[in-house]
Amino acid sequence: MALDPVAAGMALVGAGIAIGAAGIGTGIAQGQIGAAAVGATAEDPKMFGKGLTLMVLPETIVIFGFVVAFLIYGMV
Amino acid sequence: MLRPEEMTRAVVVGSIDSLDATIECLYELGVLHLIDFTAQDEEFKLGQPMAKASDSSQKLLKLRSMIRSLEIEGHKPGQRLQVSDISRKMEQALVTLDLNTTSKAEARQKIQTLIREKESEIKALEPFRGFGVPVEDYEGYDNIMVFSGTCRTDPNPALTAKLKAFELFRKQRKADVAIALFVRNDERLEASRILAEHDFQEIKLPRLKGDPEEIIAKNASEIKDLEADLARIENELDSIRKQFADFIIASEEHLAIQVLKAETPLRIATSANSFVIDGWIPTSRVHEIQTALDTLCCGLAFVETVESEKEDEPPVKLKNPLPAKPFEFFINLVSTPKYDELDPTLVLFITFPIFFGFMVGDLGFGLGLMALGGLMRWKLKRFPDLYKLGAIVLAGGFLASLFGLLVFAEAFGVPFHPPEEAPDEHSWEVVANIPIHPRLDKMHDSMEMIAISLVVGWLHLTLGFVFGFVNNYHHSKKHAAAKVAWLLVLFGLFVEIMTVAGSATETSHFINSTVLVPIPDAATTVIGVDVSLPAVGLIVVGVAGLIITEGPLALTEVVGLFTNLVSYARLAALSIGKGAMALAFNSMLFPLIFESGNIVVAILGALALFVSQMFFVFFIGALSSGIQAVRLNYVEFFLKFFEGGGTDFQPLSYERKYTVATK
Repeated sequence: MALDPVAAGMALVGAGIAIGAAGIGTGIAQGQIGAAAVGATAEDPKMFGKGLTLMVLPETIVIFGFVVAFLIYGMV
Repeated sequence: MLRPEEMTRAVVVGSIDSLDATIECLYELGVLHLIDFTAQDEEFKLGQPMAKASDSSQKLLKLRSMIRSLEIEGHKPGQRLQVSDISRKMEQALVTLDLNTTSKAEARQKIQTLIREKESEIKALEPFRGFGVPVEDYEGYDNIMVFSGTCRTDPNPALTAKLKAFELFRKQRKADVAIALFVRNDERLEASRILAEHDFQEIKLPRLKGDPEEIIAKNASEIKDLEADLARIENELDSIRKQFADFIIASEEHLAIQVLKAETPLRIATSANSFVIDGWIPTSRVHEIQTALDTLCCGLAFVETVESEKEDEPPVKLKNPLPAKPFEFFINLVSTPKYDELDPTLVLFITFPIFFGFMVGDLGFGLGLMALGGLMRWKLKRFPDLYKLGAIVLAGGFLASLFGLLVFAEAFGVPFHPPEEAPDEHSWEVVANIPIHPRLDKMHDSMEMIAISLVVGWLHLTLGFVFGFVNNYHHSKKHAAAKVAWLLVLFGLFVEIMTVAGSATETSHFINSTVLVPIPDAATTVIGVDVSLPAVGLIVVGVAGLIITEGPLALTEVVGLFTNLVSYARLAALSIGKGAMALAFNSMLFPLIFESGNIVVAILGALALFVSQMFFVFFIGALSSGIQAVRLNYVEFFLKFFEGGGTDFQPLSYERKYTVATK
């Protein structure tokens, strides 16, 4: 669908917010999990795999942001 | 391949006289995973260590203490020593070493302690030199309190204003003021308060006598002498080190192996006349162990295979084709699979390089990664983990080059040809006209790439549930049925996504017109979104199945499954992100390099381009692509079927690095 320039601009800003905010959310979550995971790995190196698995879980949030951003981008 | 090595439970039994020989034989073969004997009774007790155990461990202890004294823990002998040579020279060498090393190491330690003491005395007295007050005069008063230490600022004005009588010695130093304050007891609280305001830090003086100046001078000259002694002893130790380091390290290895063998009877059952060793043997090697025991123990020990019981948990030795072996590294990072679980190494071997290659998708970086992987294989054999990682990087780099060459048609973030949408973009056309055009353009076909990612996700997750079905089939038909229900839900979600995508992307068009042809094309529109009725049907049937098999709580995870599917969009995201990053650097720096006309600016621009490409795109990009490719396997794939917690197969065996067994 064709949007007028202002609406298109707003939509692109929206896309930016979608991925930016999702990135912040992921960052906050990963920061805390990462700290705990490093602590666990320091105590028992065998925890590395489990730690990594838990650490990367919140990354899906930013992927959602990415998908939404591109859906908006597609509309423009 | 998908199953670990088949294990057979076996007992080795024999006459007690042949125990030592049997243990030797088992260690040489390295195929028996021993089960520790615990259930002692009237007949069977834990065995006694071999006769040589005590002597060997004593020598081992001596050697290890020498290794510490000589500080040769990390020494690697240049050549391997014959075991017979070690045994022949051992006694003599131990005596010589004991005489030379022990006393010298002790002396060295004493001298070091003395030097440390003297130095700390100097450090403690340093602030008070020049005050002219002997050390003994800083304490031992009934009515006077002494404060010795440092202040941030000079406390004299404040003390003069507040105290009636005091004596203050002070010396301005680089960052603080050294002070010695003598006050009457009744004014000590006030004095202490004032000092606290000036950030007073107390320094305790050592219990010595005499002027600090003299003591410091005396200590300094003593330290000089001690250091000369220390250097002499170090020299002597160094010559011992040169002469004996190889021998000591090799002997330590040899003795450690001897002690390991000699103490093995402590783990097995023995009676007055016989012994029983219980354990697991790879089924393919049972025959080998039988023949070896027959020849080595002259028929005094036998191996007997036993029917394993249901609750037995055999140890796990992963069995994969040689190229897939390095990928076991990823499995070991999580957990060893259980014996009756499917081993996902092979899937990782296939999916990891593909995911990684798709995300990196660049001929230049791919070749760079292959070179890096090759270098790791070539140079890092000593570090097993990095060596394995080398093969993984090599495989990932290979696929990245392939994707870069055939799909994205770009190298170092620069396309072979400028995209139709942006004909002015920099491209390799300047250098050569490569006859390959991109099938996908990272910057302009993003929806296509997301669609491809989702299809890959569906395939990968489906495989995960199939693995889950197989793993559960023998234990619990109900759990296996739940996996089928999950498969239905997943398929429903996939059909719905493809319905929504319709013909917007080539991928969804292709899937809709091939794989999904048997699915009836019945769709309705709910608040502007196309909803496929067969998809809803599949999801409803699947969810009903889940409620029956796993209970209503499983419903909460249905959304999770959708999340899993969308999660594969990271394949596209990383690829686009990397492409965008490379494009950004290139479009900023190329004009500097080619259009500035100034050679210095051009060189600086080229350097900046190289560094930014290397760091941001190559290392960070490869690292994040690697982590994401592993994550898709660990989180999305493994959680569908993998339990882990199996026992690693650790046969009785040893490794000689610095010694050679003499026949």
